[in-house]
Amino acid sequence: MKFFSRRLFLTIVLFHQLYLPEVRAQGSGDFMRETGKIGVVVGVILLIFLGLILYLVRLDRKLTKLEQQINDQHERTH
Amino acid sequence: MWWKISAVVLLLLVFLFGLLVPLYPGLTHAAPDTVAPGASFVLQIQGYNTFFTRAEAPVRVWLVHEGRHVLASGSVQAVDEVTLEARFEVPATMPVPASSLPLDLVVDDRLHGAMFLPNAVRVQSLSGETVAAADSLWRLAEVRDLHRNEDFRFTHIPINYESIRNLYFHVPMWMVMFVLFLLSMWHSVVHLRTSDAIADARAAGYAEVGLLFGMLGLVTGMLWANYTWGAPWSNDIKQLMTAAALLVYLAYFILRASFDEPEKSARIAAVYNIFAFASLVPLIYIVPRIFSSLHPGGEGNPVFNREDLNVNMRLVFYPAVLGWTLLGLWIARLRIRLSILNEQLMDR
Repeated sequence: MKFFSRRLFLTIVLFHQLYLPEVRAQGSGDFMRETGKIGVVVGVILLIFLGLILYLVRLDRKLTKLEQQINDQHERTH
Repeated sequence: MWWKISAVVLLLLVFLFGLLVPLYPGLTHAAPDTVAPGASFVLQIQGYNTFFTRAEAPVRVWLVHEGRHVLASGSVQAVDEVTLEARFEVPATMPVPASSLPLDLVVDDRLHGAMFLPNAVRVQSLSGETVAAADSLWRLAEVRDLHRNEDFRFTHIPINYESIRNLYFHVPMWMVMFVLFLLSMWHSVVHLRTSDAIADARAAGYAEVGLLFGMLGLVTGMLWANYTWGAPWSNDIKQLMTAAALLVYLAYFILRASFDEPEKSARIAAVYNIFAFASLVPLIYIVPRIFSSLHPGGEGNPVFNREDLNVNMRLVFYPAVLGWTLLGLWIARLRIRLSILNEQLMDR
Protein backbone atom coordinates (compact mmCIF):
# COMPACT_ATOMS: atom_id res chain seq x y z
CA MET A 1 0.00 0.00 0.00
CA LYS A 2 2.76 2.34 1.03
CA PHE A 3 4.80 1.42 -2.02
CA PHE A 4 1.83 1.98 -4.25
CA SER A 5 1.05 5.43 -2.91
CA ARG A 6 4.70 6.43 -3.20
CA ARG A 7 4.78 5.32 -6.81
CA LEU A 8 1.56 7.17 -7.47
CA PHE A 9 3.05 10.27 -5.93
CA LEU A 10 6.17 9.98 -8.08
CA THR A 11 4.07 9.46 -11.19
CA ILE A 12 2.12 12.60 -10.46
CA VAL A 13 5.28 14.61 -9.83
CA LEU A 14 6.92 13.32 -13.02
CA PHE A 15 3.79 13.88 -15.03
CA HIS A 16 3.60 17.38 -13.69
CA GLN A 17 7.21 18.15 -14.59
CA LEU A 18 7.13 16.49 -17.98
CA TYR A 19 3.86 17.71 -19.32
CA LEU A 20 3.20 21.03 -17.71
CA PRO A 21 5.81 23.06 -19.62
CA GLU A 22 4.29 21.81 -22.84
CA VAL A 23 0.85 22.92 -21.77
CA ARG A 24 2.29 26.26 -20.71
CA ALA A 25 3.95 26.78 -24.07
CA GLN A 26 0.63 26.29 -25.81
CA GLY A 27 -1.33 28.63 -23.57
CA SER A 28 -0.61 32.29 -23.07
CA GLY A 29 1.67 31.51 -20.13
CA ASP A 30 -0.13 32.18 -16.89
CA PHE A 31 -3.32 30.27 -16.16
CA MET A 32 -4.40 32.95 -13.70
CA ARG A 33 -3.73 35.89 -16.01
CA GLU A 34 -5.04 34.33 -19.20
CA THR A 35 -7.76 36.37 -20.88
CA GLY A 36 -10.86 35.90 -18.84
CA LYS A 37 -9.02 35.07 -15.58
CA ILE A 38 -11.23 32.04 -15.02
CA GLY A 39 -8.27 30.49 -13.16
CA VAL A 40 -8.87 32.91 -10.29
CA VAL A 41 -12.40 31.54 -9.87
CA VAL A 42 -11.06 27.98 -9.91
CA GLY A 43 -8.49 28.99 -7.29
CA VAL A 44 -11.08 30.65 -5.04
CA ILE A 45 -13.40 27.63 -5.21
CA LEU A 46 -10.50 25.26 -4.47
CA LEU A 47 -9.43 27.34 -1.46
CA ILE A 48 -12.95 27.27 -0.03
CA PHE A 49 -13.24 23.55 -0.72
CA LEU A 50 -9.88 22.79 0.92
CA GLY A 51 -10.67 24.99 3.92
CA LEU A 52 -14.00 23.27 4.55
CA ILE A 53 -12.50 19.79 4.02
CA LEU A 54 -9.65 20.48 6.45
CA TYR A 55 -12.17 21.65 9.04
CA LEU A 56 -14.29 18.54 8.51
CA VAL A 57 -11.21 16.32 8.89
CA ARG A 58 -10.48 18.03 12.20
CA LEU A 59 -14.09 17.53 13.28
CA ASP A 60 -13.86 13.88 12.25
CA ARG A 61 -10.80 13.38 14.47
CA LYS A 62 -12.55 14.97 17.45
CA LEU A 63 -15.52 12.70 16.89
CA THR A 64 -13.27 9.62 16.77
CA LYS A 65 -11.73 10.66 20.08
CA LEU A 66 -15.18 11.04 21.61
CA GLU A 67 -16.22 7.61 20.34
CA GLN A 68 -13.13 6.08 21.94
CA GLN A 69 -13.94 7.78 25.25
CA ILE A 70 -17.49 6.46 25.13
CA ASN A 71 -16.23 2.97 24.35
CA ASP A 72 -13.73 3.10 27.23
CA GLN A 73 -16.45 4.20 29.63
CA HIS A 74 -18.71 1.49 28.34
CA GLU A 75 -16.06 -1.18 28.96
CA ARG A 76 -15.41 0.12 32.48
CA THR A 77 -19.07 0.03 33.47
CA HIS A 78 -19.62 -3.50 32.11
CA MET B 1 -33.55 18.51 7.58
CA TRP B 2 -35.30 20.66 4.96
CA TRP B 3 -32.78 23.43 5.37
CA LYS B 4 -29.85 21.07 4.82
CA ILE B 5 -31.44 19.94 1.58
CA SER B 6 -32.02 23.60 0.66
CA ALA B 7 -28.34 24.32 1.30
CA VAL B 8 -27.29 21.58 -1.11
CA VAL B 9 -29.86 22.48 -3.77
CA LEU B 10 -29.10 26.21 -3.59
CA LEU B 11 -25.35 25.70 -3.78
CA LEU B 12 -25.75 23.26 -6.65
CA LEU B 13 -27.74 25.88 -8.57
CA VAL B 14 -25.19 28.54 -7.66
CA PHE B 15 -22.33 26.41 -8.99
CA LEU B 16 -24.24 25.59 -12.17
CA PHE B 17 -25.47 29.07 -12.99
CA GLY B 18 -22.56 30.91 -11.43
CA LEU B 19 -20.04 29.03 -13.57
CA LEU B 20 -21.97 28.36 -16.77
CA VAL B 21 -23.77 31.62 -17.56
CA PRO B 22 -21.49 33.52 -19.97
CA LEU B 23 -20.33 37.10 -19.57
CA TYR B 24 -21.68 39.85 -21.80
CA PRO B 25 -19.43 40.60 -24.74
CA GLY B 26 -16.91 43.29 -23.90
CA LEU B 27 -13.59 44.87 -24.81
CA THR B 28 -10.25 43.88 -23.32
CA HIS B 29 -7.76 46.26 -24.96
CA ALA B 30 -7.05 48.49 -27.89
CA ALA B 31 -3.85 49.28 -29.81
CA PRO B 32 -2.16 51.69 -30.28
CA ASP B 33 -2.74 52.99 -26.77
CA THR B 34 -1.04 56.36 -27.42
CA VAL B 35 -1.46 58.61 -30.46
CA ALA B 36 -0.33 62.12 -31.38
CA PRO B 37 -2.68 65.05 -32.08
CA GLY B 38 -3.50 65.27 -35.79
CA ALA B 39 -2.75 61.57 -36.32
CA SER B 40 -4.71 59.33 -38.62
CA PHE B 41 -4.61 55.77 -37.34
CA VAL B 42 -6.31 52.39 -37.30
CA LEU B 43 -7.36 51.32 -33.83
CA GLN B 44 -7.25 47.57 -33.34
CA ILE B 45 -9.83 46.56 -30.74
CA GLN B 46 -9.81 43.22 -28.93
CA GLY B 47 -13.17 41.83 -27.87
CA TYR B 48 -14.09 39.14 -25.38
CA ASN B 49 -17.10 36.86 -26.03
CA THR B 50 -17.69 38.86 -29.20
CA PHE B 51 -18.75 37.79 -32.70
CA PHE B 52 -17.62 40.80 -34.70
CA THR B 53 -17.93 39.12 -38.11
CA ARG B 54 -21.57 38.35 -37.37
CA ALA B 55 -22.45 41.88 -36.28
CA GLU B 56 -24.84 43.71 -38.57
CA ALA B 57 -23.85 47.13 -39.84
CA PRO B 58 -23.70 49.70 -38.57
CA VAL B 59 -21.02 48.90 -35.99
CA ARG B 60 -20.26 52.27 -34.45
CA VAL B 61 -17.04 53.12 -32.61
CA TRP B 62 -16.31 56.26 -30.63
CA LEU B 63 -13.48 57.66 -28.55
CA VAL B 64 -14.85 59.82 -25.76
CA HIS B 65 -13.25 62.23 -23.32
CA GLU B 66 -15.22 62.69 -20.10
CA GLY B 67 -18.48 61.89 -21.86
CA ARG B 68 -18.57 65.24 -23.69
CA HIS B 69 -15.84 65.34 -26.32
CA VAL B 70 -16.38 62.70 -28.95
CA LEU B 71 -14.53 61.34 -31.97
CA ALA B 72 -16.45 58.99 -34.26
CA SER B 73 -14.68 56.35 -36.31
CA GLY B 74 -14.70 56.84 -40.08
CA SER B 75 -14.78 53.19 -41.06
CA VAL B 76 -15.06 50.00 -39.04
CA GLN B 77 -14.03 46.53 -40.16
CA ALA B 78 -14.20 43.16 -38.44
CA VAL B 79 -10.93 41.20 -38.80
CA ASP B 80 -12.21 38.15 -36.94
CA GLU B 81 -14.67 37.35 -34.15
CA VAL B 82 -12.57 39.09 -31.50
CA THR B 83 -10.74 41.75 -33.51
CA LEU B 84 -12.23 44.95 -34.85
CA GLU B 85 -10.40 47.69 -36.75
CA ALA B 86 -11.63 51.28 -36.61
CA ARG B 87 -10.08 54.22 -38.47
CA PHE B 88 -9.81 57.53 -36.62
CA GLU B 89 -8.65 61.03 -37.54
CA VAL B 90 -7.47 62.85 -34.43
CA PRO B 91 -7.85 66.67 -34.61
CA ALA B 92 -4.67 68.69 -34.21
CA THR B 93 -6.22 70.48 -31.27
CA MET B 94 -7.27 69.16 -27.90
CA PRO B 95 -10.78 69.85 -26.61
CA VAL B 96 -9.33 71.20 -23.36
CA PRO B 97 -5.87 72.66 -22.69
CA ALA B 98 -3.78 69.55 -21.97
CA SER B 99 -0.65 67.75 -23.09
CA SER B 100 -2.27 64.38 -22.58
CA LEU B 101 -5.88 63.37 -23.04
CA PRO B 102 -7.35 60.03 -21.91
CA LEU B 103 -10.12 58.62 -24.10
CA ASP B 104 -12.71 55.97 -23.35
CA LEU B 105 -13.67 53.56 -26.09
CA VAL B 106 -17.30 52.81 -26.95
CA VAL B 107 -18.34 50.16 -29.48
CA ASP B 108 -22.00 49.66 -30.27
CA ASP B 109 -24.03 47.39 -32.53
CA ARG B 110 -27.30 45.53 -32.30
CA LEU B 111 -25.86 42.05 -31.72
CA HIS B 112 -23.47 42.89 -28.87
CA GLY B 113 -25.08 45.98 -27.38
CA ALA B 114 -22.90 48.85 -26.18
CA MET B 115 -19.42 47.91 -24.96
CA PHE B 116 -17.05 50.20 -23.02
CA LEU B 117 -13.34 50.25 -22.34
CA PRO B 118 -12.29 53.10 -20.03
CA ASN B 119 -8.94 54.84 -20.75
CA ALA B 120 -8.39 52.82 -23.90
CA VAL B 121 -6.39 55.40 -25.85
CA ARG B 122 -4.41 58.49 -24.88
CA VAL B 123 -3.75 61.48 -27.12
CA GLN B 124 -0.25 62.64 -26.17
CA SER B 125 1.44 65.72 -27.64
CA LEU B 126 4.90 64.77 -28.95
CA SER B 127 6.73 67.63 -27.26
CA GLY B 128 4.90 67.06 -24.00
CA GLU B 129 3.68 70.64 -24.16
CA THR B 130 0.13 71.73 -23.63
CA VAL B 131 -1.81 71.86 -26.88
CA ALA B 132 -4.06 74.82 -27.55
CA ALA B 133 -7.70 74.05 -26.93
CA ALA B 134 -10.33 74.19 -29.63
CA ASP B 135 -13.13 71.77 -29.11
CA SER B 136 -15.25 72.36 -32.24
CA LEU B 137 -13.74 69.30 -33.99
CA TRP B 138 -14.44 67.23 -30.89
CA ARG B 139 -18.14 68.02 -30.99
CA LEU B 140 -19.03 66.80 -34.48
CA ALA B 141 -20.12 63.38 -33.25
CA GLU B 142 -22.42 62.25 -30.51
CA VAL B 143 -22.71 58.95 -28.67
CA ARG B 144 -26.38 58.07 -28.87
CA ASP B 145 -28.93 55.37 -29.63
CA LEU B 146 -26.85 52.77 -27.81
CA HIS B 147 -28.16 49.22 -27.91
CA ARG B 148 -28.84 47.13 -24.87
CA ASN B 149 -27.96 43.45 -24.73
CA GLU B 150 -30.90 41.70 -23.08
CA ASP B 151 -29.44 38.17 -22.91
CA PHE B 152 -29.19 36.35 -19.58
CA ARG B 153 -25.51 36.99 -18.90
CA PHE B 154 -23.19 38.40 -16.26
CA THR B 155 -21.57 41.83 -16.32
CA HIS B 156 -18.32 42.23 -18.21
CA ILE B 157 -15.98 44.37 -16.13
CA PRO B 158 -12.50 45.17 -17.51
CA ILE B 159 -9.63 43.72 -15.42
CA ASN B 160 -12.06 41.41 -13.60
CA TYR B 161 -13.53 39.50 -16.54
CA GLU B 162 -14.57 35.97 -15.51
CA SER B 163 -13.28 36.49 -11.97
CA ILE B 164 -16.47 38.50 -11.35
CA ARG B 165 -17.97 35.05 -10.64
CA ASN B 166 -16.12 35.16 -7.32
CA LEU B 167 -19.05 37.28 -6.23
CA TYR B 168 -20.85 33.98 -5.58
CA PHE B 169 -17.94 32.43 -3.66
CA HIS B 170 -15.77 35.06 -1.99
CA VAL B 171 -18.42 37.61 -0.99
CA PRO B 172 -20.88 35.20 0.71
CA MET B 173 -18.08 34.07 3.06
CA TRP B 174 -18.43 37.41 4.86
CA MET B 175 -22.19 37.10 5.12
CA VAL B 176 -21.83 33.61 6.60
CA MET B 177 -19.20 34.85 9.03
CA PHE B 178 -21.45 37.68 10.16
CA VAL B 179 -24.50 35.45 10.68
CA LEU B 180 -22.44 32.91 12.65
CA PHE B 181 -20.82 35.58 14.83
CA LEU B 182 -24.25 37.09 15.45
CA LEU B 183 -25.62 33.70 16.59
CA SER B 184 -22.50 33.20 18.69
CA MET B 185 -23.06 36.52 20.45
CA TRP B 186 -26.73 35.71 21.00
CA HIS B 187 -25.84 32.43 22.73
CA SER B 188 -23.27 34.24 24.85
CA VAL B 189 -26.04 36.55 26.05
CA VAL B 190 -28.19 33.50 26.80
CA HIS B 191 -25.30 31.95 28.71
CA LEU B 192 -24.82 35.06 30.83
CA ARG B 193 -28.52 35.08 31.72
CA THR B 194 -28.96 31.36 32.41
CA SER B 195 -25.39 30.05 33.06
CA ASP B 196 -26.36 27.22 30.75
CA ALA B 197 -23.25 25.27 29.67
CA ILE B 198 -24.93 24.26 26.42
CA ALA B 199 -25.46 27.92 25.47
CA ASP B 200 -21.75 28.44 25.98
CA ALA B 201 -20.95 25.44 23.76
CA ARG B 202 -23.21 26.91 21.10
CA ALA B 203 -21.52 30.31 21.33
CA ALA B 204 -18.09 28.69 20.94
CA GLY B 205 -19.21 26.48 18.03
CA TYR B 206 -20.74 29.32 16.02
CA ALA B 207 -17.70 31.52 16.66
CA GLU B 208 -15.31 28.77 15.55
CA VAL B 209 -17.07 28.11 12.25
CA GLY B 210 -17.59 31.86 11.79
CA LEU B 211 -13.84 32.30 12.13
CA LEU B 212 -13.30 29.54 9.56
CA PHE B 213 -15.50 31.35 7.04
CA GLY B 214 -13.82 34.66 7.86
CA MET B 215 -10.41 33.13 7.13
CA LEU B 216 -11.73 31.64 3.88
CA GLY B 217 -13.04 35.09 2.95
CA LEU B 218 -9.64 36.59 3.67
CA VAL B 219 -7.55 34.07 1.69
CA THR B 220 -9.92 33.95 -1.29
CA GLY B 221 -9.91 37.75 -1.25
CA MET B 222 -6.11 37.76 -1.30
CA LEU B 223 -6.05 35.42 -4.29
CA TRP B 224 -8.58 37.54 -6.18
CA ALA B 225 -6.75 40.75 -5.23
CA ASN B 226 -3.47 39.37 -6.56
CA TYR B 227 -4.86 39.16 -10.08
CA THR B 228 -7.02 42.28 -10.11
CA TRP B 229 -5.30 44.77 -7.80
CA GLY B 230 -1.82 43.41 -8.52
CA ALA B 231 -0.89 42.23 -5.03
CA PRO B 232 -2.44 39.86 -2.48
CA TRP B 233 -2.22 42.46 0.26
CA SER B 234 -2.44 46.17 -0.44
CA ASN B 235 -3.38 47.43 3.02
CA ASP B 236 -6.85 48.16 1.73
CA ILE B 237 -9.04 49.41 4.57
CA LYS B 238 -11.37 46.42 4.33
CA GLN B 239 -8.45 43.99 4.35
CA LEU B 240 -6.97 45.65 7.43
CA MET B 241 -10.27 45.84 9.31
CA THR B 242 -11.26 42.25 8.61
CA ALA B 243 -7.80 41.06 9.65
CA ALA B 244 -8.28 43.00 12.90
CA ALA B 245 -11.77 41.51 13.36
CA LEU B 246 -10.45 37.98 12.85
CA LEU B 247 -7.68 38.61 15.40
CA VAL B 248 -10.31 39.80 17.90
CA TYR B 249 -12.14 36.49 17.44
CA LEU B 250 -8.90 34.49 17.55
CA ALA B 251 -8.31 36.07 20.95
CA TYR B 252 -11.72 34.73 22.04
CA PHE B 253 -10.43 31.18 21.68
CA ILE B 254 -7.16 31.96 23.41
CA LEU B 255 -9.19 33.46 26.26
CA ARG B 256 -11.38 30.36 26.47
CA ALA B 257 -8.36 28.12 26.70
CA SER B 258 -6.56 30.14 29.34
CA PHE B 259 -8.76 29.44 32.36
CA ASP B 260 -8.79 26.19 34.32
CA GLU B 261 -12.27 26.53 35.76
CA PRO B 262 -14.72 25.81 32.97
CA GLU B 263 -17.54 27.92 34.45
CA LYS B 264 -15.40 30.99 34.97
CA SER B 265 -13.88 30.56 31.51
CA ALA B 266 -17.33 30.34 29.92
CA ARG B 267 -18.53 33.48 31.71
CA ILE B 268 -15.53 35.63 30.84
CA ALA B 269 -15.55 34.33 27.27
CA ALA B 270 -19.24 35.20 26.95
CA VAL B 271 -18.62 38.78 28.08
CA TYR B 272 -15.65 39.05 25.71
CA ASN B 273 -17.71 37.61 22.84
CA ILE B 274 -20.31 40.35 23.21
CA PHE B 275 -17.57 42.97 23.04
CA ALA B 276 -16.00 41.20 20.09
CA PHE B 277 -19.25 41.35 18.17
CA ALA B 278 -19.74 44.98 19.16
CA SER B 279 -16.30 45.74 17.68
CA LEU B 280 -17.02 43.72 14.53
CA VAL B 281 -19.77 46.05 13.36
CA PRO B 282 -17.64 49.23 13.27
CA LEU B 283 -14.61 47.31 11.99
CA ILE B 284 -16.39 45.75 9.04
CA TYR B 285 -19.37 47.95 8.36
CA ILE B 286 -18.53 51.47 9.46
CA VAL B 287 -14.80 52.25 9.21
CA PRO B 288 -14.40 50.93 5.63
CA ARG B 289 -17.15 53.29 4.53
CA ILE B 290 -15.30 56.29 5.90
CA PHE B 291 -12.00 55.64 4.12
CA SER B 292 -11.64 55.04 0.42
CA SER B 293 -11.21 51.43 -0.53
CA LEU B 294 -10.22 49.34 -3.51
CA HIS B 295 -13.30 47.30 -2.75
CA PRO B 296 -16.47 48.03 -4.68
CA GLY B 297 -19.41 49.66 -2.99
CA GLY B 298 -17.61 52.59 -1.40
CA GLU B 299 -17.25 56.10 -2.77
CA GLY B 300 -14.46 56.86 -5.20
CA ASN B 301 -14.76 53.49 -6.81
CA PRO B 302 -16.27 53.77 -10.24
CA VAL B 303 -15.43 50.22 -11.25
CA PHE B 304 -18.30 48.45 -9.55
CA ASN B 305 -21.51 50.20 -8.80
CA ARG B 306 -25.12 49.28 -8.39
CA GLU B 307 -25.58 48.82 -12.11
CA ASP B 308 -22.63 46.48 -12.35
CA LEU B 309 -24.35 44.04 -10.08
CA ASN B 310 -27.04 43.55 -12.67
CA VAL B 311 -30.33 41.74 -12.20
CA ASN B 312 -28.94 38.45 -13.53
CA MET B 313 -26.07 38.52 -11.05
CA ARG B 314 -28.40 39.28 -8.16
CA LEU B 315 -30.48 36.30 -9.20
CA VAL B 316 -27.48 34.07 -8.48
CA PHE B 317 -25.92 36.15 -5.68
CA TYR B 318 -28.84 36.05 -3.23
CA PRO B 319 -29.28 32.26 -3.44
CA ALA B 320 -25.49 32.00 -3.06
CA VAL B 321 -25.58 33.98 0.19
CA LEU B 322 -28.47 31.87 1.49
CA GLY B 323 -26.91 28.57 0.37
CA TRP B 324 -23.49 29.27 1.89
CA THR B 325 -25.14 30.53 5.10
CA LEU B 326 -27.14 27.32 5.46
CA LEU B 327 -23.98 25.29 4.84
CA GLY B 328 -22.17 27.33 7.49
CA LEU B 329 -25.00 26.71 9.95
CA TRP B 330 -24.89 23.01 9.16
CA ILE B 331 -21.15 22.73 9.85
CA ALA B 332 -21.48 24.87 12.99
CA ARG B 333 -24.26 22.65 14.30
CA LEU B 334 -22.15 19.54 13.75
CA ARG B 335 -19.40 21.18 15.81
CA ILE B 336 -21.90 22.16 18.50
CA ARG B 337 -23.46 18.70 18.71
CA LEU B 338 -19.97 17.31 19.23
CA SER B 339 -19.27 19.80 22.05
CA ILE B 340 -22.57 19.01 23.72
CA LEU B 341 -21.86 15.26 23.62
CA ASN B 342 -18.42 15.94 25.07
CA GLU B 343 -20.01 17.98 27.84
CA GLN B 344 -22.50 15.25 28.66
CA LEU B 345 -19.74 12.65 28.78
CA MET B 346 -17.76 14.79 31.23
CA ASP B 347 -20.79 15.15 33.50
CA ARG B 348 -21.34 11.43 33.79
